[in-house]
Amino acid sequence: MSERVTAERVKAFAAAARVPIEDDAAARAARALDPTVRRMDELALQLPLETEPASFVAIARKGR
Amino acid sequence: MSDPALLSLTEVAAQIRERRLSSVEVTQALLARIGHWQPKLNAFVRIEADEALARAKEADAELARSGPKGVLHGVPLAHKDMYYFAGLPAGCGSKIREGWIASQTSSVISHLQDAGAIRIGALHMVEFAMGPTGHNAYLGPARNPWNTARISGGSSSGPAAAVAARLTYGALGSDTGGSIRIPANFCGVTGLKASYGRVSRANVMPLSFTLDTVGPLCRSAEDCALIAELIFGEDPLDPVTAGAPAWNKAATRRPVSSLKIGIPKRFYVDDLEPDVAAALDDTIAVLRRLGAKIVAVDLPDPKPIDAAAYVVLSVEATSFHAPWLRTRPQDYTPPIRARLESGVAFSGVEYLEALRWRGPALAAHLEAIGDVDIIVAPAARAVAPKIADTDPSGANANAIKEMSGFLRPMNYLGVPALVVPVAHSAEGLPIGLQLVGRPFGDETLIALGRAFQQVSDEHLRVPQLA
Repeated sequence: MSERVTAERVKAFAAAARVPIEDDAAARAARALDPTVRRMDELALQLPLETEPASFVAIARKGR
Repeated sequence: MSDPALLSLTEVAAQIRERRLSSVEVTQALLARIGHWQPKLNAFVRIEADEALARAKEADAELARSGPKGVLHGVPLAHKDMYYFAGLPAGCGSKIREGWIASQTSSVISHLQDAGAIRIGALHMVEFAMGPTGHNAYLGPARNPWNTARISGGSSSGPAAAVAARLTYGALGSDTGGSIRIPANFCGVTGLKASYGRVSRANVMPLSFTLDTVGPLCRSAEDCALIAELIFGEDPLDPVTAGAPAWNKAATRRPVSSLKIGIPKRFYVDDLEPDVAAALDDTIAVLRRLGAKIVAVDLPDPKPIDAAAYVVLSVEATSFHAPWLRTRPQDYTPPIRARLESGVAFSGVEYLEALRWRGPALAAHLEAIGDVDIIVAPAARAVAPKIADTDPSGANANAIKEMSGFLRPMNYLGVPALVVPVAHSAEGLPIGLQLVGRPFGDETLIALGRAFQQVSDEHLRVPQLA
């Protein structure tokens, strides 16, 4: 199974954010985050097109 | 006379108001106890003995002159060192903020001060509130008063340890992924994670604006209610509280016989240590005897919820810390720097997907619970582990992450949760349960917690200094 998060991706994103990161730290972050991103891929498939973050507030108020 | 430090917040506040105890007597009693326990626990980052006694003396004089300022007149309290007091330091458990002086006071602190509370010091916390164990490589770990080789839990490590050891009558902590409930559970105190948006976070150190909540850790649900009544409600300085309902004291008296309580069929009850499983069963039996209707509920799998919460927390925390990560990365301890660095690795699309999924996740949760008022579930699979076995500098990532597994989903769902001590393990460590309410149902949790504590003495047990 291919990795979603690689050390190269972590280093590229860190560079874009201008945050310095060592090679071993990037590799460690990639290993730690990959399962989370995989799970998020599955969740994204279930998201209705019309859903925006503020829908949470409406649902919370209705669910009292 | 018995030790005033052993009174509850509700009791000591009443005794000061009624002039049966002075604020100075009470403050001296706490300071004496802190003197004995602090070397063992590392629960305080600052003990302000002289200042606290001066404040207490002033409170006593004011009481004699013009009566009580409010319900907490002259009561000494200490809070997690991330609450700002104008003109005083708030180190946030870090080297980076060591010596930093706040220019504003947290809104919730102002409410407690307006009610007459006085400050006795500041409490230990995990660096920038990023970790569930109570380790802090900069300050040293806080320790569990029931067994100092065990973790206190975190990130509100000092509040839980200090409340359990009776070094403060109550403390404010914060809960972004379990940081009130984990230490409350491990130290055997009562901790309230408020509904998202019901308590102001203004001028409190932020971690994740989508998930941050603040709330009390106390010796009982009754004491939590006393603080909640003062701090809940709308605050123009924190926009997420817009339209937030004020505390409804009457709802905290709701009879247990009117409550429908759900017990998870799976996930939250899987692979429990035998002592924890027995504590859950025993508590369900007590609640049934109190008249609650008990039903089984099939809650959604918390793992995807936890994953989405992790993305949101990581990205938002890193956004707060990015300027220091660029300019002072060496001033973070290695585990916290590693966690913050990982937050850069999520894309904007992934972050927004995690935010967008929050509504549907809450809708699925509400559909699963139907008309259930409160879910009762374990706060953790096992009792507090050893400090040496959970050092975040070591290879303990999974064990540490699992500590939040039952708890972080509630931050993402925005629902309130109250941890209540219900038993002790065979080895003498506290076991707590998590009561999870409907959105904005904080008062109902207090009603159940209070009713349980009227027939249980677990919250009255006091650790002994070895």
